[in-house]
This record gives sequence, C-alpha cells and structure tokens, in this order.
Amino acid sequence: MQFAKDSFFLALQQRLAGLNPARTVTINGATVPAVAVVENLPPASAEPQPNAFYIEWGSAAVVDGGAGNAALMSLNCVISYYTLGTVQSMVDRGRVLGQLDNELLGICQPTNTEKYDYTQSPSADLGTSVFWNQPAFQEATTSGVEDNTAAYQGRAVRRAIYEQAHQDGRVERRAELTVFFFSEVTLL
Amino acid sequence: MSTSPLRSAMVPVTRQMRAYFAPVNRITETPTIFDPAASGVFALDAPPAPWLDLGWIEGFERYYDTPTDVVRSGANALPSVQFRGPIEARVEFDFREWGKLQMALAGGSEHMNVLATSPSAALAPSGGTPIPAAAVLAGSTANELVFGIDVVSAFVVGNLIAVDVDYQQQIGYVGSGISAAYVSSAAKVNNDLNYVRRVTFNVGRVVEVTATSVILAQPLLAGAPATGASAQVVAAFVDREGGSFFQEWSALFIAEPESGGRVCFYYPRLSPNPGAGSGGVTMKSGAGWKPPKSGGAAKTSGTANTQGNGTRSSSQKFLREDSEEIARPLSSLGLHASFIALPFTDTNDGQTVLCYRSYFPAAMAAVY
Repeated sequence: MQFAKDSFFLALQQRLAGLNPARTVTINGATVPAVAVVENLPPASAEPQPNAFYIEWGSAAVVDGGAGNAALMSLNCVISYYTLGTVQSMVDRGRVLGQLDNELLGICQPTNTEKYDYTQSPSADLGTSVFWNQPAFQEATTSGVEDNTAAYQGRAVRRAIYEQAHQDGRVERRAELTVFFFSEVTLL
Repeated sequence: MSTSPLRSAMVPVTRQMRAYFAPVNRITETPTIFDPAASGVFALDAPPAPWLDLGWIEGFERYYDTPTDVVRSGANALPSVQFRGPIEARVEFDFREWGKLQMALAGGSEHMNVLATSPSAALAPSGGTPIPAAAVLAGSTANELVFGIDVVSAFVVGNLIAVDVDYQQQIGYVGSGISAAYVSSAAKVNNDLNYVRRVTFNVGRVVEVTATSVILAQPLLAGAPATGASAQVVAAFVDREGGSFFQEWSALFIAEPESGGRVCFYYPRLSPNPGAGSGGVTMKSGAGWKPPKSGGAAKTSGTANTQGNGTRSSSQKFLREDSEEIARPLSSLGLHASFIALPFTDTNDGQTVLCYRSYFPAAMAAVY
C-alpha cells in the first residue's frame, strides 16, 4: 500500500511543479512543490501552510470483483488546502481558492500513474498503475468573517470547533477522491 | 494469503473509450493502417496523423458473429474438422462530443454543410442557393487561406467555412482528402457548382482576419487547398435520415489504460450502419450500460428500443435516441453511431479479417 501512496503523492507533486512552478512551500528548510502528505510530516510540525495541498489517507478496502491474483484495493484520500488571499484586505481569497481548485483538478489528470517502489534506488516499476476517480470538491468554508454563518447553518458543533481553531479569515476546501491500486499481497 | 506476489496484476482496468477515425481511400479501398509497432503507444490527445481524435465515447459495444461448425465423420459422427462460417462484426457507441465528423459518422450518409444564403434565396432544408464562393488564392495553407484585399472582407472572425473545388460534372467520389459523397449523375446534383462544398469535410473556423487572408483555428483536414478551390461560409451542419451514400472509415478505439495495459481495437474498414441488427456476442463498456440499441436488439426481440410497424421494406426495428441526464432538467445530447466492419486482407498471411485487438502490457508487467 505504501508504494501506491508514494506513487500518488509524487505524481501530484511532480505535476504541480510542471503546472505552476511558483507554487512551493518550505518544509523542514527545503523548498518543494506545495504538495505534502500529513502522515509524512513530523507530529510536531507547524500547522498547514496556506496555498499548499495536504494529503490525508483514510480507510482502505479490498474491492470486490477485482479479478486476478492481486487484490484490487481502494484507499480514500482527502486533499485539503486553504488560502488567505494575496492582498492585505484578503478580498481575493475566492479567486485564489479557485486557482487552487483548478490546479488540483489539473494535477489529478491523467487519473493514473505508474506504481513505483521508491524504497530502493533507483526506484522500481512494479508493473501496474495507481488510478483514481475525479476529486469531489466540498463546499468552500470561511472563518473569522461575518458571512460564515450560512455556510455552517445546522452544523453548530462543527462551526464552533472550526471558529475556535481559525480566526484568520481563511477560506479552505477539502477535496475527496478514492485511489485504486493492485496490492502487492497475493490473494490465494 | 501470501505476501510475495506470484506476478504483477494483469487486469486491464479502463474508465472510458476513446475513438479515432481516419479516412479510407474509396477509389482503391485502401484503409489507414494502425501499426501497433509504429504508432501504438501515443498520447491519447495527440494521435499520429492521419488519425483524428473524436473524443471520449460512451456505451462502446462490440458485436462479433463468426459461427463455427464441424464436419463429422465415422459411424458415430464424431467431429473431425472444424471450420468458420461467414464472419461479421459490428460496433456501436455514442459520441458525446458534436462536430462535423461525429455527426457525419453517426448519420452515415452524405453530411451537408449548409452554405450561407442571401435573404432572398429559396428555402431548402439542407441549404438553398448560396452566396457565391470566394476563390482561394495561391500561397494558402491548411491554416491560412489567402483571398486578397477585396475579397477577404466577406469573412469575419467566427465564421465557419467550407473549402473545396467547384463541382464540374464529374462522376464518382467527391470531396478533397476524404470522400464525402458519391455523385452518380451530374443532373442529380443539379450541376451545382457548390455541391462539393456542400458535402466536403474540409471545413474550418475563422479566428483571425488579416488584410488578405483568414486564419483558421484548426487545419483543414485535406491540407493546403487544391488548385481552384473556393470557400463559402457555413451556417450549420445537417445530416439526414436517408441518402444513398455509405461512408467508410478506418477506426481505432482505445480503452483508457488506468491500470497500465493499453487495449486497442482496430477496424481497418468501418461503414456506418445505423439500424441494422446482428447476432453474436457483445462486449460492452461503461458503467451505465443500457439495453442494446440496435445491434443487440436482434438477439433480444421486443426490447424497449425496438418497435415493429409492419412496413415490409424496413428492418422493422426503430431506434430510440437517448440523452444523458446531467441534473434535471439538464441533459446532454449524444450521437448514436453504429457500424459494420468490412473485410480487409492481412498482407502477412492473406487472411481476411474484420478487426484487430492489440494489447500493450504495462511496463514491467508480467507477460503470462
């Protein structure tokens, strides 16, 4: 499973470097394309940076109907990002978020990439691809502004937590997709 | 369960099918060859010439019907020799994108460019007497058409134009680059000087008008205009239920290779054949599979998609065109296309074949 995770992450990171070379973040002193995997970061690392894509892995399952010896697996994935805009008044947050949306959709194309074993050098092609569905973009959420009530109507608990966490006026998005891959485990 | 794989997965997984078409030389009946070694693994949005990308398609269904029988011998009539009977193969799918080629292939017969007319022209469903053509001058290319200072003002940015030679009473296939119609008698097309431009596939969209020329958004399919070619503004495209001409194309269908391996279906000669039924086995693609629309209907009579009406001369199977619902009340209109495969002789061994299926395993994938 780790090979699929690594291949997906590196595919997105390399594609972002080609699509928008200026979209970078500095992590542990290194400047890299702005795609990071949360579970790969130190637990004590700083909170997510704006204008960067953070990948979180969710539940996994063996997909029924996948023929052959190798198990076809699905792995849920959430990619979250937020922006504070580019000007002090922050009035361009929506535009920047739209640009991030476009970039995420762009780096998800094509919806597959070769699966490599990156634990060895040089990396080894494992003979199949990792593939995924198109991302589903959740509603954009805002914080610390007057108009966020409507966005959270009926979700009082979540709203309270959210506002407690962030009062900086950010707008953020979560995109969900499912990654599929053939496991290295052989089903007998 | 083992943690050491016997071999890497060898399961082609696909999401959708992409269609590419290329013209058949109708005079020599020579198809466009798809050579897997020469041009098999190309970027799906950049097919090698002369293949034309007609976009993602839905409901791709292959039908093949190659019956086999046996010769029996001996007292117990045991099978001794097997042989193949008459072969037949069909393809059906829906184009999701609309364009000149997609409409023409779905319609299957002459596909008309409705040439712009003057307000006083007599009404005609496929176009009346058009505004006279503008001669294309020397120095024109597939992307730029030179008309001269006085004439170029007849065109504005956004115009669709048809570019081809005048009809000069010739008998046979007409249309530059791609045979667009067959004229059996000059009188049948009213000796119309504009007839070739009414049917030609050589069409383009004007994106810029210079002092002497127009620039096209996409190159003309037949390349640089032939000597003596002229251009006319096209108002719309029209296909017709009916017509005596059968188009013929080479076709290539590629399953989007999600899991690594690429599967291609190559038909050297496909002829649109809407409405015909077929027996045989089907291969269907797409999650939202629906009952067969024509090819499969022959096997399962009485489906919702076919209705008999007792007319002797028809096949008594009516086809229902579907639209794809997006979100009520929005729906997208598709172009249903149905083809019959025509024979091709494989030069390697002289065998007569209808279609080829090629497989490109993923890099480093197990072979067997």
